[in-house]
Amino acid sequence: MASVIGTEITARPTATGILRAERSEQFDEALKALDNYKKKDTSKVVVRFKAVGNAPIMKQNFYKITSSNRFQAVIQFLRKELGWQAGEPLFTYINLSFSPAPDDTVANLFKACGTDGHLIVNYSTTQAWG
Amino acid sequence: MSAYGTTRQPGGGATPKDKTTDYHTALFRRLAWEGTVPVEIRVDPKELPANSDRGLECYYIQAPRVSYLPLLLPEIRRFLMDVVFDEAAASSLKEEDWWFETEEGTITKWHWPLGLIYDNHAISLTVRSSAPPSTAMAPPLRLILHLASPPTEKLMLSPSQEACKQAFMGQLKEADFIRWGSTKRVTGLRKLEQDGIWEGIREHNFDDYWRVASKVTPSASQPVPPPLAGASGHVRPPSTDAPSTFDRDGAYSVRCIPVRVYLPDGPILQEFVPPLLEDGTPNTLYHFLSTHLPLLFPPRPPAPPPSRAKPNPQPPAVPNLAFVMIQGVVSPPEAEMAWLGVCMAGADGWLSICVGINRT
Repeated sequence: MASVIGTEITARPTATGILRAERSEQFDEALKALDNYKKKDTSKVVVRFKAVGNAPIMKQNFYKITSSNRFQAVIQFLRKELGWQAGEPLFTYINLSFSPAPDDTVANLFKACGTDGHLIVNYSTTQAWG
Repeated sequence: MSAYGTTRQPGGGATPKDKTTDYHTALFRRLAWEGTVPVEIRVDPKELPANSDRGLECYYIQAPRVSYLPLLLPEIRRFLMDVVFDEAAASSLKEEDWWFETEEGTITKWHWPLGLIYDNHAISLTVRSSAPPSTAMAPPLRLILHLASPPTEKLMLSPSQEACKQAFMGQLKEADFIRWGSTKRVTGLRKLEQDGIWEGIREHNFDDYWRVASKVTPSASQPVPPPLAGASGHVRPPSTDAPSTFDRDGAYSVRCIPVRVYLPDGPILQEFVPPLLEDGTPNTLYHFLSTHLPLLFPPRPPAPPPSRAKPNPQPPAVPNLAFVMIQGVVSPPEAEMAWLGVCMAGADGWLSICVGINRT
């Protein structure tokens, strides 16, 4: 439905027409926001590995690990540094307190449990605070 | 200690106010506990052993939100053995190789509660243009069951109940640590109690679960209002809502509430969530989300000052790009984070906030 006013054409969309246009604009804006939040955090977190009990102490204990990594990746990294095979028992804890979910990210763990600017990861061959 | 001169009575000596608070807390905890989600499980047709009874390979469960996939395996196995597989196939079933994925190809995690798996799936549908707009009905979560070649890297855990229990206890401890900076409340539980809380989940028994959970979950007592500077010493008149004691173990005394925010198709966010803001007012859902996800939850500008033409101005509307779902319920923006953390959290102590995109 349109009315001509002088040389201007003013289209008057129906109510649902406006809503549909607004709806998809809003939806696009939301999708853009999500893309923004999906961007991988490339900042690095300092992880400090601390041996517990009989676990061997590594030559190097401080490592910079990319924030977006899952804790699972940290465990695999530690295994590699220790030279331990997949079957050998390795238990990891944060701050001598709890074992994180393997899909917790380093970023989130650091935000919640970081101390003195780093994330303390304890490792042992036996289950300590299981 | 309390500035109001009253003391907490041991053994839960209840004043009428205490009874009201306890009732609402118990009500919401019960509602969250009794929540269920419809799940449809279908064996991947390509993996159905020969001589299987095709056409019956779908299993439906109305499963508790607080339960886990590994806990459902026994009944799924029984169904498949009774109805679908013949004896030869049944004898070669290796549950340790089983795994699930959604129709969209997302591998479902063993250590995620079913309610979270369901809600996370629901919000991922809000960004798919092909998905129909949500209706009042809750569609079943369709899972495909694979019988072999589990993607162990992505699953991260074995499907055993023991691994699931360990993961659950880990989450309980992590939540404890987030709240208080130590896990002594959970580690202080006797072994019998630690086993008991998991049994409560396995058997889906509210009383068994909360018998132990009440020892590690903060109470929902209301925050103490900050004393007015320069007050004449006059104390606020008592009301059913005014707190009469300072609850050191209460929801508003934690240093941080264990919260994870799930966005459609990721990422999972974890931010510092204090129960009270700097001005002493309770932290609300909208305040939290507009602080950390302002593109989806724009901060609300204040109302313009009143004028003669508009003596009662409202703050300008902000676009409603997204909605919040907690335990499958769309949550009001003024909900207090501390209260949510002790009444609407999952059984593992974590408040899961799922953010979906509005289509209408």
